[in-house]
Amino acid sequence: MASTEHQNGDAVSHPKKKLKPCNFITEAEIQSEFSHHDTAVARLNNGAFGCCPASVIAVQRDWQLKNLRQPDHFYFNDLKSGLLHSRTIIKDLVNAHHVDEISLVDNASTATAIVLQQAAWAFNEGTFQKGDVVLMLHYAYGAVKKAIEAYVARAGGSVVEVPLPFPVTSNDEIVREFRKAVEKGKSRGNRIRLAVIDHVTSMPSVVIPLKELVTICREEGVEQVFVDAAHAIGCTRVDMQEIGADFYTSNLHKWFFCPPSVAFLYARASPKSRDLHHPVVSHEYGNGLAVESSWTGNRDYSAQLVVPAVMEFVKMFEGGIEGIRKKNHEVVVEMGEMLVEAWGTHLGSPPHMSASMVMVGLPPCLGIFSDSDALKLRTRLRDKFGVEVPIYFAGGEDGSVTAYARISRQVYNKLEDYIKFKNAIDELVRDGFTCALLSD
Amino acid sequence: MSTLPDPPNPSMDNETHRNGAVESNHLIAKKPKLSHPISDSEIREEFSHHQRGVARINNGSFGSCPRSVLAAQSGCQLRFLQQPDDFFFNVLRGGIRESRAAVADLINAAHVDHVSLVDNATTAAAIVLQQIGRRFVRGHFRPDDSVIMFQCAYQAVKKSIEAYVTPIGGTIIEVQLPFPVRSDEEIVTEFKKGLEKGKLNGGRVRLAIIDHITSMPSVVLPVRQLIKVCREQGVEQVFVDGAHAIGSLPVDVKEIGADFYVSNLYKWFFSPPSVAFLYCKDNSNDVHHPVVSQEYGKGLPIESAWVGMRDYSPQLVVPSILEFVNRFEGGIEGIMQRNHDAVVKMGTMLAESWGTVLGSPPEMCASMIMVGLPSKLCVISDDDALRLRSYLRVYHAIEVPVYYQAMRNDDRDPRDKDGFITGYVRISHQVYNSADDYQRLKTAINQLLEDGKICSGLPTE
Repeated sequence: MASTEHQNGDAVSHPKKKLKPCNFITEAEIQSEFSHHDTAVARLNNGAFGCCPASVIAVQRDWQLKNLRQPDHFYFNDLKSGLLHSRTIIKDLVNAHHVDEISLVDNASTATAIVLQQAAWAFNEGTFQKGDVVLMLHYAYGAVKKAIEAYVARAGGSVVEVPLPFPVTSNDEIVREFRKAVEKGKSRGNRIRLAVIDHVTSMPSVVIPLKELVTICREEGVEQVFVDAAHAIGCTRVDMQEIGADFYTSNLHKWFFCPPSVAFLYARASPKSRDLHHPVVSHEYGNGLAVESSWTGNRDYSAQLVVPAVMEFVKMFEGGIEGIRKKNHEVVVEMGEMLVEAWGTHLGSPPHMSASMVMVGLPPCLGIFSDSDALKLRTRLRDKFGVEVPIYFAGGEDGSVTAYARISRQVYNKLEDYIKFKNAIDELVRDGFTCALLSD
Repeated sequence: MSTLPDPPNPSMDNETHRNGAVESNHLIAKKPKLSHPISDSEIREEFSHHQRGVARINNGSFGSCPRSVLAAQSGCQLRFLQQPDDFFFNVLRGGIRESRAAVADLINAAHVDHVSLVDNATTAAAIVLQQIGRRFVRGHFRPDDSVIMFQCAYQAVKKSIEAYVTPIGGTIIEVQLPFPVRSDEEIVTEFKKGLEKGKLNGGRVRLAIIDHITSMPSVVLPVRQLIKVCREQGVEQVFVDGAHAIGSLPVDVKEIGADFYVSNLYKWFFSPPSVAFLYCKDNSNDVHHPVVSQEYGKGLPIESAWVGMRDYSPQLVVPSILEFVNRFEGGIEGIMQRNHDAVVKMGTMLAESWGTVLGSPPEMCASMIMVGLPSKLCVISDDDALRLRSYLRVYHAIEVPVYYQAMRNDDRDPRDKDGFITGYVRISHQVYNSADDYQRLKTAINQLLEDGKICSGLPTE
């Protein structure tokens, strides 16, 4: 039962495997692992670009050097086995049944192109009829929306968006909207060929009740479900059998300590699954997606080769990756609540609907009334206050909370980071700052 | 490679970094004579990360990158890790644009908007062929229309055609490359025959894929002449796969006149793995990067500059590469000329020692040349070729690709004193090579002959 032991890296059910407390990584060691981070910056945006500890970077350099030393030898002797090793670890981590179901690609955007290209082909060949529906969430990542436009809408598919409330207070609100959208999708007699569902939305960031939505999809005859879980691994629980999607992708460079960039795409093996192909076609074409993805022409594949080193790193933490994500969640909620109390605002979603990021309402007096205002404020916080935090404009009336900061917590964060952010906003408020004052 | 240097400043406002090139028209203006061209020991130091003791004569496959460019790359990577948001907002776009502008100058493109940076030629092929595929699907083409290419086209290109053209009904015409080749005319003649085939049944040739330098066997094709023929014969689009070209021979896209031209910068132009440029003559074409981001619809250069979160550092170091090549006498032109002269000299030396032939005349090669292997070695299958290559790597620390070509039963099948020549090595010369590399190959092959060995009997790992 090795796969369940490895599930999520959870060491709790096997006490004899637990490291003694004195073997866990210390705070000083953590800071050392991330000493390449700019110390002048309160880094609260782990969601965008992730982070990579020095020990993993060192392993990546070793791989790069190995290739540069004798690339033919590397290609013939090291590359394939290294990639297989990484894929095998991920297969265990996410509880997939077979390593063939796991492909390594650059990022979730690439995975999206792979899944949607297959849908586009189906439309072109007539397997899907014009007007058949692809469902997506309103808060789907911008790149995913564009990909649906490029691959699906252009091929004649019709797109139905699920509007999502934000701020949101319960999973039920999301489930309700999803059911309505599924009804709408089926209303004109078309089939819903694909539902694209986020696991953790990007902006605004909310953990979606994925299992419930996938169940609804199956009940309502949605043919395939693709989960865009760009943030998920290392941030929330990821179990392919539990979730039950046909396709699932997550970036390893966001919350799983890989260098830029690598993601996995899980494709459930099933007799009726259509062929997936990597859009960049090499001599491996036709050998299955995992093999096609392992060679897309000459590249630096080192980011895909360091997964074993990442496992070594996370094992140094109590509870492994499970322990890390639980602690991240506790702390980010605590920090979020501290901030909204200080500012008299509110969180964008309840704690059980957030993972390692929370949306913190910003004081209305800051006067954030557009996406442009949000970006300008973000730049201001970076340039003047040394705080890196993305800001989301949610709309709403003057006087109410119209914008939220998406704060994150990763192992390198300290209390000072959040205090620095709090102080920056407090200063802006004190000085009577509004976004209207910022030039374009 | 033990310490990371300070990151260079790749942003647009540092004008002294721009190109590092002395003039904008690379073909005509002469470079000033250097007072201190790079020395041999400096070159050795620049490539000191190459495995010692390996005779590295396969620069064509994976290229090479000097330490100073790797250091610049490390600098970029570190800067990203330090503060990725700042990097994304303030460094990345300007840096890529600067690299694109440097490439546009290098290849004499009319405008930087025609130049995109992608990972490699394989990605560029996907882009071009997906575009053709979309046009077929939309019914712009008739069932009898075709795509023409050389039979020795790179395997990834062939597979891309299988993926994007064949399923929607396009016909593929393959032109056999006469090999060993004696003149440009032989190639043009074969190509013309292929075009005739394409026009049977009234169909049109919608795309011609022409290698600038074929991979295996490696020959420089007369691209200008071939494109002229294409235009005369009404071929709609021409895609030149110049994967090996930049840093091997002069690339002037205006003069060459192709609709699409791709070349890898990491093979012969000293970039780290990996980056290539794709030039599109008409930048309003319906070409898209297959990985769609928020930049979709803003033109291929912009789409390619952000295909989701990636390590873009190879795309940012073009200015550093130009600094490197300009340390050599004659810059990149000087390097190309010396590589060519040396590889021809070494190839000739080998062919004479083995009693075999060269695969092409000197003027039809650049920095690589095909040298016939003695027929007594019995290279009579692709497996044999791979076996010999592995044997040379493992037992002699020589890295050289081996090519097998079956007899074609025409008057061109080359012979040596013992039989027909069916195997070739593709030797390369880059700035880090020395004559000893080729002497070792000569000796290793001669030793096999002395020992009466043949390929199928060679030990492998």
